[in-house]
Amino acid sequence: MELREFFHRDAVNLELEGESKDDVLKEMIGLLGLDEKSESILFKMLKRRENLGSTGIGRGIAIPHCRSLVVNRLRVAFGRKSKGLDFNAIDSSPVHYFFLIVAPPLEVSNQYLPVLGKIAQFAKEPDVPARLQSLATPEEFLGLLEEKAL
Amino acid sequence: MHPQLEILLQIQDLKSQRRHLTELDDEGEVEVQEFHVVADDAINVLDQRITEMLGQLETAIRNRYERIAAGRARPVVPVINGLCYGCFVAIPTAVTGDVHRNDEIRHCDHCGRFLYVTG
Repeated sequence: MELREFFHRDAVNLELEGESKDDVLKEMIGLLGLDEKSESILFKMLKRRENLGSTGIGRGIAIPHCRSLVVNRLRVAFGRKSKGLDFNAIDSSPVHYFFLIVAPPLEVSNQYLPVLGKIAQFAKEPDVPARLQSLATPEEFLGLLEEKAL
Repeated sequence: MHPQLEILLQIQDLKSQRRHLTELDDEGEVEVQEFHVVADDAINVLDQRITEMLGQLETAIRNRYERIAAGRARPVVPVINGLCYGCFVAIPTAVTGDVHRNDEIRHCDHCGRFLYVTG
């Protein structure tokens, strides 16, 4: 299964407005369409995960992720903040691109790690940061994933 | 959602994170290799948080939780498609079909685990 199949247009936001790490995490969680209480729990879990070490992997990309009982299947979202945000990334650079991955503790198809790995691989492709910056629509983001065929 | 259930869910998720880091299974390895998490430090942080959250449970719920946790890896499990995902025995539809289904603390009649209805 390819990365493109996990993303939906509604879970892509190319103009994140949050000005803080917390705000952006909440905005990203909002893309998943969960109920308010689930959003609140997920936010706490993602924050705690960030406290163990930033998920900013460098080159302007962060992959906030966790497993949580509040979702019943693997959920992913993509967000872009063009002017960047301090996310305590490994290379200390501002983060512009956010890939959110959340999965339940038990998955029949066990897709969490493969998807996490594919996104990390995608993020390492030399042209990806520039391509993500030039996206004009969510459809173009989905097209980029399709083109990379990961 | 029942506030105590919310705490139980968080404890379970934290313990899941801890387990991956302790066992350094595939997920733990990814955290260490890809995201540069220092496993021992992270485990300490998680332990502190888990202890704090256990302290927020009402005594009866905490006792029950610890009793189940002593014998089973996952004391809190989702109900998916009407099944307890701990023992895979069907849960009565009165439990799974209720709109306010997570507003009460519920258990599986078969295995005793705390139940959380998803979806």
